Amino acid sequence: MNKIIATLVQDNLDEILVNWQELMREDSEEKFFQIMSQSVVDSTSREFAELMISNLLEGENKYENRLNVFTSKVVRFGWSISFVMKAINHFAQVVYDLLEKEKIIVDENIKEYHSIITNWITPMRDGIVDTYAKTWERTVQLQKIALQELSASLIPVFDKISVMPLVGTIDTERAKLIMENLLEGVVKHRAEVVILDITGVPVVDTMVAHHIIQAADAVRLVGAKCMLVGIRPEIAQTIVTLGINLKDFTTTSTLQRGVEQALAWTNRQIVEVEGN
Amino acid sequence: MNLRIPILKLNDCLIVSIQWELDDQTALQFQEDLLAKLHETSARGVVIDLTPIDFIDSFIAKVLGDVISMSGLMGAKVVITGIQPAVAITLIELGIRLEDVMTALDLENGLEKLQRELEA
Repeated sequence: MNKIIATLVQDNLDEILVNWQELMREDSEEKFFQIMSQSVVDSTSREFAELMISNLLEGENKYENRLNVFTSKVVRFGWSISFVMKAINHFAQVVYDLLEKEKIIVDENIKEYHSIITNWITPMRDGIVDTYAKTWERTVQLQKIALQELSASLIPVFDKISVMPLVGTIDTERAKLIMENLLEGVVKHRAEVVILDITGVPVVDTMVAHHIIQAADAVRLVGAKCMLVGIRPEIAQTIVTLGINLKDFTTTSTLQRGVEQALAWTNRQIVEVEGN
Repeated sequence: MNLRIPILKLNDCLIVSIQWELDDQTALQFQEDLLAKLHETSARGVVIDLTPIDFIDSFIAKVLGDVISMSGLMGAKVVITGIQPAVAITLIELGIRLEDVMTALDLENGLEKLQRELEA
C-alpha cells in the first residue's frame, strides 16, 4: 500500500504541488511565498515532496540522511517550525484528497489507509521537531559558552593590579563564575589589588550586592584587596535605600580614581614626565 | 598516628607550613604547640601557609580563627598565606569571614607584610 501511495504521489507530483502551494498560500501568515522567488519555492517544494515519498519507500538510514539535509536547509532559511508543521499537514491533506478522488480510498479500506497515512506522517513530524530542537539546543549552548567567555575576565593592568569589568545583569550562576575567575586570576597574576568595575551592571539589588561582598571577602582571604568602582548615582541611591552595608569596601565613582587608589596602596603613583 | 605540624623560627617570626589536611586532633595539637612555641621564643609574628591545602571544614576554620585571636592576645601578629581559591569559596559559603585576619598570596608576600606590620 505504501507503494501505491508513493507511485500515485510521484505520478501526480505536479498537481499535488500546485494544490499544496495553494493551500499553503491561503493558510500561511508567513511571507515566505512572497519573498522567495518562484524557482526557489518550486525546488524546495519538490525537495520536500521527494522527502515525503522517500519516507514511504526507502530504508531508515537514507531517509534520515535526507531529513537531516532538508531540515538544516529549512532552519537556515529561518522557517518557523509551525510553518513546516503546517506544510506537512497540508501535504498529507492534499495526498489524501487525491487518493479519495482517484477512488483508491473507498469506504471499505478507509480505516486501513488512515492508519497508513498516520504512520507515514507522525515519524516525519517527530523527526523534524527533533532536528529543530537539537538545532535550538546547540544554539543556546553556543550562546551560553559565548556569554561565559564574555562575562568575567580579569585583566592585569599594572604589576600587582588587575581589573575585572562587569557588564550585564548578575545572576547567581554568573556570580559564581565571577568569583571563581576572580580568585583564579588573583592567584595567577599575583595581583595585590583587584578592581571590580560595575559600570556596566544595570541593577544592583541586595542579591547582587551580596554576591559582590562575598567575592570581595574571598579575595581578601586569598591575600589581595578588592575595590569597587564605577558606582553610578542611581546605584549609590539604591544601595543606600536598600540598606546594603558596603562600609568595609573601598568604593569610588570611576575606574580612573580606582586605579590611582590602587597604585597608592602598592606605594606607587603616576607622575607626569616633563616634556620640552 | 598523630603527626605534629612543624613550627620553624626565623628571626622574630614563626613559620608554619601546613602540608596536609588537618584532622580535629592534629588541629588542636597544633594550637597548643604554636602557643607554647610563642611563649618559649617570644616571637612577634606568625606566618601560616596553607598553599597545599585544598579543603577546610568549619571546625578547622574555627580553630584557625581561635589560634589567630590567641596569638593576638600573646602579642603576635598572624598572617595566613596561600589560601587556594577553592578554599576561599568554601570558607565564604560556610559564612566564615576571618574578618580581622591578615592574608597574603604566598609566604614571600606574607613575610613582607608581617615585617611592615611589625615595623609600623
